[in-house]
Amino acid sequence: MSHRARVFLAATAVTVTLAACSSGGTGDGGGSLVGEGTGADCTIGSPVPVGAALSLTGAAASYGESQRQGLELAAEQLNARGGVEYELTVEDDQTDPRQGIAVFEQLTADDGVSVIIGPTLSNGGFQAQPIAQEEGVPVLAISNTADGITEQGDYIFRDSLTEAQVIPQTVAKAKEVYGAQSAVVMYSNDDAFTEAGYEVFAQALDAEGIEVAETLEFSTADTDFRALLTEAKAADADLLVVSGLIEAAIPLVTQARELGIDVPIVGGNGFNNPQLMADAGDAAEGVVVGAAWNSASDNPENTAFLADFEEKHGSQPDQFAAQAFAGLMLIDTAVRASCSGERDAIKDGLGTIDGVPSVLGELTINDARDAEHEAVVQIVEDGTFTVLD
Amino acid sequence: MLTESTVTFIALGAIFAFSFYAVLNAGQLSLGQAGFASVAAYTSVLLAPDPDVVGDLAALLIALVIGMTAGTVAAVVLGLPTMHLRGVFLAIATLGFAEAVRIFLLNAEWTGGAQGLSVPKIVTPAIAWVVLAIVAYWFWRSGPTRYGRALEAIREDELAAGAMGIDVGRHRLGAFATAGAVAGLYGVLWAYTVRLVAPADFGFTAAIDGLVTAMVGGTTMFVGPVVGSAFLTVIPEIQRALGVEAGWIRPFVAGLLLLVVILFLPGGLAGRIPRRIRVPDLDGRGSGSGSDDGGSSDDGADLRTREHAPRGDVVARLSGLSKDYGGVHAVRGVDLEVRSGELLGLIGPNGAGKTTLVNMLSGLVAPSSGTASVLGVTAGRAPVHRVAAAGVSRTFQHSKLFDRLSALENVLVGGHLVTRPTLLRRLLWLPSARRDEQAALTHAARCLRRVGMLEAATTRAGALSYGDQRRLEIARALAADPSLLILDEPAAGMNQVEAGELAHLIRSLADDGLAVLLIEHNVGLVRQVCDRVVVLNFGEVIATGAPSDVAADPRVVEAYLGTEA
Repeated sequence: MSHRARVFLAATAVTVTLAACSSGGTGDGGGSLVGEGTGADCTIGSPVPVGAALSLTGAAASYGESQRQGLELAAEQLNARGGVEYELTVEDDQTDPRQGIAVFEQLTADDGVSVIIGPTLSNGGFQAQPIAQEEGVPVLAISNTADGITEQGDYIFRDSLTEAQVIPQTVAKAKEVYGAQSAVVMYSNDDAFTEAGYEVFAQALDAEGIEVAETLEFSTADTDFRALLTEAKAADADLLVVSGLIEAAIPLVTQARELGIDVPIVGGNGFNNPQLMADAGDAAEGVVVGAAWNSASDNPENTAFLADFEEKHGSQPDQFAAQAFAGLMLIDTAVRASCSGERDAIKDGLGTIDGVPSVLGELTINDARDAEHEAVVQIVEDGTFTVLD
Repeated sequence: MLTESTVTFIALGAIFAFSFYAVLNAGQLSLGQAGFASVAAYTSVLLAPDPDVVGDLAALLIALVIGMTAGTVAAVVLGLPTMHLRGVFLAIATLGFAEAVRIFLLNAEWTGGAQGLSVPKIVTPAIAWVVLAIVAYWFWRSGPTRYGRALEAIREDELAAGAMGIDVGRHRLGAFATAGAVAGLYGVLWAYTVRLVAPADFGFTAAIDGLVTAMVGGTTMFVGPVVGSAFLTVIPEIQRALGVEAGWIRPFVAGLLLLVVILFLPGGLAGRIPRRIRVPDLDGRGSGSGSDDGGSSDDGADLRTREHAPRGDVVARLSGLSKDYGGVHAVRGVDLEVRSGELLGLIGPNGAGKTTLVNMLSGLVAPSSGTASVLGVTAGRAPVHRVAAAGVSRTFQHSKLFDRLSALENVLVGGHLVTRPTLLRRLLWLPSARRDEQAALTHAARCLRRVGMLEAATTRAGALSYGDQRRLEIARALAADPSLLILDEPAAGMNQVEAGELAHLIRSLADDGLAVLLIEHNVGLVRQVCDRVVVLNFGEVIATGAPSDVAADPRVVEAYLGTEA
């Protein structure tokens, strides 16, 4: 008994001491979150606290890290612009529902953030976002693509296109360009994101009248696809459609080419990552990727973003970084709309976003609080994504 | 720092850890609990009524009942074919089950696949802690009962537990079913807390989480899982409060802390809490019927009593008993009778087959041919605990004590067959349970006193000297109130004085009417106390008769000293 007591006393003592040492808490906003001026001239006295709940460790760590880089770049640029300062708190949900929920509770309660970005995964979104809805804190999802995310409540928004907004376009384009009549579909069935992607692929293929010769399932942990690919090759279809994460995409594409599968490989959002070309090399040539972000777009926001990101982080951004970057920029637009960093003002501001230029293209948030912007069908050519015509 | 969800997750983590504690406390390593939890979560989410119709609390209660039932059924279905597996093999088998469940849930139509099913949030911190309190109450009250001690005995030494009359298979399955029920509770609470039930939350990581929580907390004290869960759940919160930057450093620090705890507190955080056990005051009992010189016949009416065979009756009859290990004939065609009140010595050189013979007699080893009929059962055909229940009790050549239990608890386990089950009555705080436990304690204390070890009652068995361990084994065997007592080299490692006292004790047992079979190397001791001696060499009886006659038998001399070259 006494021993347990001692452990806890010690833990508490350490906590209190160190908490006292780590200087000052977060600047909580009183009335000073309301500023003067409008739009670009808006000036708000105290910094607007923005919380981000991302998966920095655990299974989805690679996406969370990209998102953090995108957010940090955006915060840096916005704070340099002046007028409104953003205090960005990035928290880790460890790809664990318990942590996700705890982080959301803390962001909505103690830290008193004005808006929350995240979480990284859709399943985490269903588990944590209702907390913000109940507390009246607006949430901007930057990578949740599952159906029903924004249906959870009127405080939940997203700037990520759903699979249903991207994939049908991709399938239609592939049919148009390659005259495809049949397809083999492969997907990892133990991941919510890729499973949802598969469902949309199946519907889109059906809608386009492309016959599905074979449907093959794999696991996110798989790295050897030769047996499945041999089966896929035997089906002799015009397309190989894959809904998988980038970790699966690289070996799958490489092995498909090794086995002599030279039909176009069509991937979803998970494939939209420069790592594909970096790691799969020549094998990635001719891979068609439907994506929410056109990395090759020459709109001024995107061109600047590519250059700035490369300069700050020394690598090329992926779709997760782009959507995160766009997310904080949209929040800035929402704040400046009524020149207020308060929760309800941001909520209203996000709802009015209409045709705002962003790295994702001209972006509108519709009545269902989902984003609408142009999706793009890309093809890998000479080691880079180019728009498929 | 302690938000609502943190408080809830401490309770949930503790409940899940209890499902590991349930089996670890009985010496089984199972990793199937995440599987039980997911079976329970999905079943209850699908079958429980809509909270909007029947109300939140009612819906949750029904879901909990469904989940607990589903978890128990899953555990029993898995347990029946796997209960004979031990250690790592059981862990692998159960892990396989959990993985199979996960794959099934991913692929079945009605489960929503990887995207899971949406569940209303009902669980509040209060609800979670009430369920935890109930679960903890169960483990608290069941610990010091006949059932709880039997599980601990199985953990410490399965063979010895069986020889004390504990039905090892049934108890192991019981512990496993408890683990299933508790894991089921966890699964349901989890689903109604996180709003979404998805297979990913019941994977390998979840199983390891639960195991680590149970181990960090400690698996020998019922508060262990609660302490472990509080510790592990609060670490990330403390790090956040301290402003440790989010990212790899946090899991790294958490891993280091875990390492420190396991290195410096191998029994877990709760492992240092002393086990309290009150030794009954034998002399101060005015109302007790016990006489001061002790004895097994005056243990009061609170204990089950055994009908002992009248003096001179045959209690064990071996006919043509043989045991072959491959080409080795360890025991060959032994015919032997043991009678009540007789002290029979069994001697022979090393490797003569003495221990094999008594292992067959006590039911631990099945004979290759011949029969051993003991107190109405056929040893070898009846399981060990049946043979023990018939009245055979024994000690082992190499001490098989329950090392982490106190001397008194060891003897309490020995009294398994003569004490009454108290679990259900203890849960209800019935006074009769207290009376029965008191009677069991008094009985155990008397047995300890009879071998002169009452002063060491609270000492851990593993910490006793070698000679004391031998005496404790005798006390434990005596506690079963046996008709036939088998002592396998009880004097080994004792000095002259101790051996003399032991001889006196053994003689008095036989004089009380017990049949005693004494295996001993110390020929002096055997000659001093035994009524009759059987000499075994190369698995065969070479001489039998009064001690002095046998000692003079040339074949015996030859067996011990060898022929002149």
